[in-house]
Amino acid sequence: MIRVVLYLNQFFGGIGGEDKADVPARLTEDIVGPGKAFRASLGDQGQVVATVICGDNYFAENIEAATREVRDLVAPYRPDLLLAGPAFNAGRYGIACGAVCKMAQTELGIPAVTGMYRENPGLDLYRKDVYVVETGDTARAMADVVNRMTTLALKLVRREKIGKPADEGYFSRGLLVNEVADRTGAERVTDMLLRKLRGEAFESEVVRPAYDRVKPAPAVRELASARIALVTDGGLVPKGNPDKIEMATATRYGRYDIAAKDALDPADYEVTHGGYDSVLVRQNPNRLVPVDAMREMEREGVIGSLHEWFYSTTGLTCIVAVMKELGKQIAESLKSEGVSGVILTST
Amino acid sequence: MRLQLDFLFIKDVQFAAETAIHDGVLYVDKGALQALLLEDRRFASVDVEIAHPGEECRITGVLDVIEPRAKTSDGDEDFPGAVGAQAPAGTGSTCVLKGVAIVLSDYRERTESGRSTDPNGDIIDMAGPGAEAGLFGKTHNIVLLPIPAEGVNGQEYLAAFKIAGLKAAAYLARAGIGATPDRTEVMELPPLIARDGTAGNLPWVVYIFQILTTQFDPIPGEPILYGRNVPDMVPTLLHPNEVIDGAVTSQLPALNVQTFQVQNHPIIRELCARHGKDLFFAGVIASTAPNNMADIERISNIAANLARYVGADGAVLTKTGGGAPELTMARTAQRCERFGIKTALAVLHMAADVYGAATLFNMPEVDAIVSLGVPNTQLTLPAMKRIVGRRRVVPNMPPIDGEIKRTEGGIKGSQCQMGSFRLRAVRY
Amino acid sequence: MVGSNRILPAQKIVSPLGNSALGPDDEKALRRSLVRKALAVLQTEIEGQRVFS
Repeated sequence: MIRVVLYLNQFFGGIGGEDKADVPARLTEDIVGPGKAFRASLGDQGQVVATVICGDNYFAENIEAATREVRDLVAPYRPDLLLAGPAFNAGRYGIACGAVCKMAQTELGIPAVTGMYRENPGLDLYRKDVYVVETGDTARAMADVVNRMTTLALKLVRREKIGKPADEGYFSRGLLVNEVADRTGAERVTDMLLRKLRGEAFESEVVRPAYDRVKPAPAVRELASARIALVTDGGLVPKGNPDKIEMATATRYGRYDIAAKDALDPADYEVTHGGYDSVLVRQNPNRLVPVDAMREMEREGVIGSLHEWFYSTTGLTCIVAVMKELGKQIAESLKSEGVSGVILTST
Repeated sequence: MRLQLDFLFIKDVQFAAETAIHDGVLYVDKGALQALLLEDRRFASVDVEIAHPGEECRITGVLDVIEPRAKTSDGDEDFPGAVGAQAPAGTGSTCVLKGVAIVLSDYRERTESGRSTDPNGDIIDMAGPGAEAGLFGKTHNIVLLPIPAEGVNGQEYLAAFKIAGLKAAAYLARAGIGATPDRTEVMELPPLIARDGTAGNLPWVVYIFQILTTQFDPIPGEPILYGRNVPDMVPTLLHPNEVIDGAVTSQLPALNVQTFQVQNHPIIRELCARHGKDLFFAGVIASTAPNNMADIERISNIAANLARYVGADGAVLTKTGGGAPELTMARTAQRCERFGIKTALAVLHMAADVYGAATLFNMPEVDAIVSLGVPNTQLTLPAMKRIVGRRRVVPNMPPIDGEIKRTEGGIKGSQCQMGSFRLRAVRY
Repeated sequence: MVGSNRILPAQKIVSPLGNSALGPDDEKALRRSLVRKALAVLQTEIEGQRVFS
């Protein structure tokens, strides 16, 4: 009989509505709200040993501290499984459920499952780390959601193989995994083309990526007094690669002093990027990071100044989330250094 | 154009006094083969070793793999332009030794590898999970190990090596001339002009085949198409038999493609098999993948126009190399779609980021995509008793004959950008 | 092209702001003209992702 703990917000925990969203986390051994449905669904497979109830605002306003408090409340009960929500379309609740499930996995070492509607902001934040069962946008069909959460959760506890998102009812976690199909790639691509030609429905094996759009920054005004910086993902680094920037799948960037330079000297640089033939760039690094031309622009008054460092990393088979983070850090540095425009060269 | 492929099923390979084939065994005169390859003065020496399926053996520094094939019809040339003299490929008869592969193992300190930071490069295991994962763990492999002569640079060595591999392939297959084939296949795709009603209402399908990527410096003297390297080539129409019959080889360094796979091209074989039943195979458009946006546009337009002119209703596309070729393939497909030619693509995913996008492109019209898998699933490969090829020792890396980790992409013959295998990546 | 909004196609992957077929003076002039174009793009207001030429 596995030991299960639940996480509920103030509303589902029966404390109150929005007016009680500030209540701190507390624990009860009573079965409250959806706890009854979970108990019924678990049957003799599991026992709800404790339920944590916490106000959505209390959690949202201090996520890290609240997560720790929930962990400390729950740990003494030695749970085998944590179930949170379901949060449906409630955003703060969804974020809290995601955070609590992630904590259960990483700090308590137990599986965790929650449930959300596809537009819940908590979904995109946590779907890669946590199994999120798909729900509607209101609390109708609670029993059905609870059953799907429990079914999936018990599989996790038993370490059974988890099937595809569509089959098990959870949101894709974005993980790409190889499997063996029933036909070769050549047979599959021919079949797919024939279906398309006949006007029959076909299912692409690869779905187009959903890139988030970044709002364009306003144009640089008064270029003649602006500080412009150079950034590259072509992996140009000082000889010896002092920051050990990787040749692919980079996790770091470096910034290199060009304050006194009129141009980049090939004797001082090398290329760490492994995905293009770097001979021309090594012969003349200005072909990648145009310090020579930019210094002239500075002297001629076209720009106010050329920023004293160039930033560099390797853009080859990189992890988008990692690059997003590096980009953020570089942008923050540049902004604090008074840079208003960047020329980024890519190979 | 009628091409007859005569298959001899080889069950063993051994060194012997003379090169011959008896009772399904290929006997190899090592000295004669070495002498043949040493005619190329770019080599100081050429060693040859044999590795059998089931042996606890690992081959390092694998650059390419080639199937032994030789023309048996009068007037035809082996690998025209590369080994034999210039001659049209794709007709007559060809002897094919099935179950044997020529493996090119790089001697240099640092070898080419798309996937591994280990200087020992891509490998072939003859036993264990690596052999299960890869096609070449199941063939009897004749490994060529040339050492470059003094003063020969990397590109010269690679060009010479490629030619040596093709020479060895033809030399060994010639031992099968006159033998009764175990199986015969005929490939006889009619000319395009035969759209006279015999094809009925079948859709016309072309295969747009990327044969070269210029993201890497083209190797002067490396035979790619009829014996020449073709970085400035514009898309051109080839008969499928030409691809199968030695006119096209896979470029070095190869990312998940080998000459062996081109010789046994799975999409060409599939389209030929379905010709006259589900489709009219209207030919192969061979194309390069350029390294800059302007040429990507240019090549895409020329290829799509050729497909349109040929009367294609649909096109299958594949790529070679890495990321820029994926963009070329997508742009070509998009152009075809805008001309009213329906497309389907097969993609081996580039990304190291398995959580992220599965493709580098995002075009609404390019909506029929088959996945050929992700290349970065790690396998743990056991220690091996025998290493064939140079054994490079790297501080802080496990020895190449011990237990090592390799991604599927780093095992030659486990994945293929042209769709030979059943691997597919799915989202979880 | 993921999040980039202002995109200016350059020469080649292996040499984005150069052309080894030109002599050094011509190549430098080419680089200056590409850099000037880039600076002009920085001064251009845009609504969404745009590839300049």
